[in-house]
Amino acid sequence: MNTNAPVETELLCAACRQPLVLGKVKASYLGSSFEVDLPRCPGCGFVYVSEALAQGKMLQVEQALEDK
Amino acid sequence: MSLLAVTESICPVCLRRIDARRVAEGDEVFLIKHCPEHGEFKTIIWRGLTTYQRWLERGSRTATPPVAETTVRQGCPYDCGLCPDHRQQSCCVLLEVTQRCNLRCPVCFADAGSADRNDDPSLEEIETWAEGLRAHGSPINIQLSGGEPTVRDDLPTIIERIRSRGFGFVQINTNGIRLAKETGYARTLAGAGLDCAFLQFDGVNDATYERVRGARLLEIKRQAIQNCAEAGLAIVLVPTLVPNVNIGEIGTIIDFALAHVPAVRAVHFQPISYFGRYPTSPVDAQRITLPEVMTEIERQTSGRIRVEDFGPGTSEHALCSFVGKFEIDGAGRLHSARRTACCSTAQAQDRETNAGCGCGKPSDDASPSRRVVAQRWAATTRQPDNRMPVAGADVSSFDAFLAARGHTFSISGMAFQDAWTLDLERLRECFIHVVSADRRVIPFCAHNLTSMSGESLYRASALAEA
Repeated sequence: MNTNAPVETELLCAACRQPLVLGKVKASYLGSSFEVDLPRCPGCGFVYVSEALAQGKMLQVEQALEDK
Repeated sequence: MSLLAVTESICPVCLRRIDARRVAEGDEVFLIKHCPEHGEFKTIIWRGLTTYQRWLERGSRTATPPVAETTVRQGCPYDCGLCPDHRQQSCCVLLEVTQRCNLRCPVCFADAGSADRNDDPSLEEIETWAEGLRAHGSPINIQLSGGEPTVRDDLPTIIERIRSRGFGFVQINTNGIRLAKETGYARTLAGAGLDCAFLQFDGVNDATYERVRGARLLEIKRQAIQNCAEAGLAIVLVPTLVPNVNIGEIGTIIDFALAHVPAVRAVHFQPISYFGRYPTSPVDAQRITLPEVMTEIERQTSGRIRVEDFGPGTSEHALCSFVGKFEIDGAGRLHSARRTACCSTAQAQDRETNAGCGCGKPSDDASPSRRVVAQRWAATTRQPDNRMPVAGADVSSFDAFLAARGHTFSISGMAFQDAWTLDLERLRECFIHVVSADRRVIPFCAHNLTSMSGESLYRASALAEA
């Protein structure tokens, strides 16, 4: 088994009609960067962020950065 | 005995307004008043002269309400609505969305017990209340109360409608039973726009709950907290402190709260006050005053938290509350905002804004339901909602960052006034208000006030027997 093969998700890119694959994404906010693995489109680079993540951990990180 | 202040109060028997004095005897402060018909009443209000004086050094922070709905006819406390003589604007306003409850608490000051569903205000009526409050201008925090607000199945709709009228912070005052028992309920309320659960939390053992609430509730509280945390709802733990029942649990309650930060944002202590029918006046041993709560906090936390970490609230009467703000670092250590404010007490004061009423509103008003996070981050884009986590997605760098950062935490206390302790100087500066059934805005302690026979000034019916 090739563990380096891109992991396809069940999500489709609306523009390219390609399955999103998990990949390293650098998320930046207010000068801080975080390396995370998220579904992205191999065609256009579009990254999918679920609402649960956006209103959960990402919101907490955002608030913490704004507090500084 | 020395006279500290001259004020006014009411007779606990006939509710007539009478002159009153705050008097020091040794280290204790009493409210002493004399009704020409029913005699003298002397009640402890503050045990600790040093903090009494320190609290009053803050001075009054009065502000005229933008709207006066009533006129002055009989004078305070009979003309609430608010009347033009009120000296503080609304900060937190309670909407009693039902008088029904799924508990029968011996300590409850709400008229919960005999009501049925048909007595609930309609959704349209609640919207009318909210609409009326908009005229009050300044940002108002809404607390949905009761009764137990979660017994209404349309509570999510109520929250949505209030939100849609521009109110930026909505919390529910709850016993947590439905939040604990109904799967998905906390998420439903959060999705509707709820910010915070103001959770009755009297202790960390079931014997306490049986005495204060008449039921064994500890596991319910734990589950409610877990469900709220998972739903992203902030939690404020609200212990009612009763002498000879749970005073010894103050430190344990704080430790429990700290173990549940950041979901638990604050502990807000409420010393018991007495509403309903009382054939004889409660004795002073049945009362714990705010400085005693602070002293117990210091003693029961072995000095990790000190009396000096606390001060009066920012805009209510100084004698109504205490507030302490803390930072918790990544290692779980507490740092008092007062102790870390160096020479700048003003800075410490600024950081306490809005904390006095005990609500869980964050200082930056960063409410999850009002923000679209994805738009603010680089390298992210939005897609249609999909709440299912994606297998293999790894956001451990977020987790690591969140684990290492500090959190803010507050500890506060508020002394509600009853027929024995009511001080009209304090009542005029009250900033926690209740919308009454006839749409007037009533300061909280006037709204709940009852005579010894249970006669109420403002509630439609006398309270159930306590």
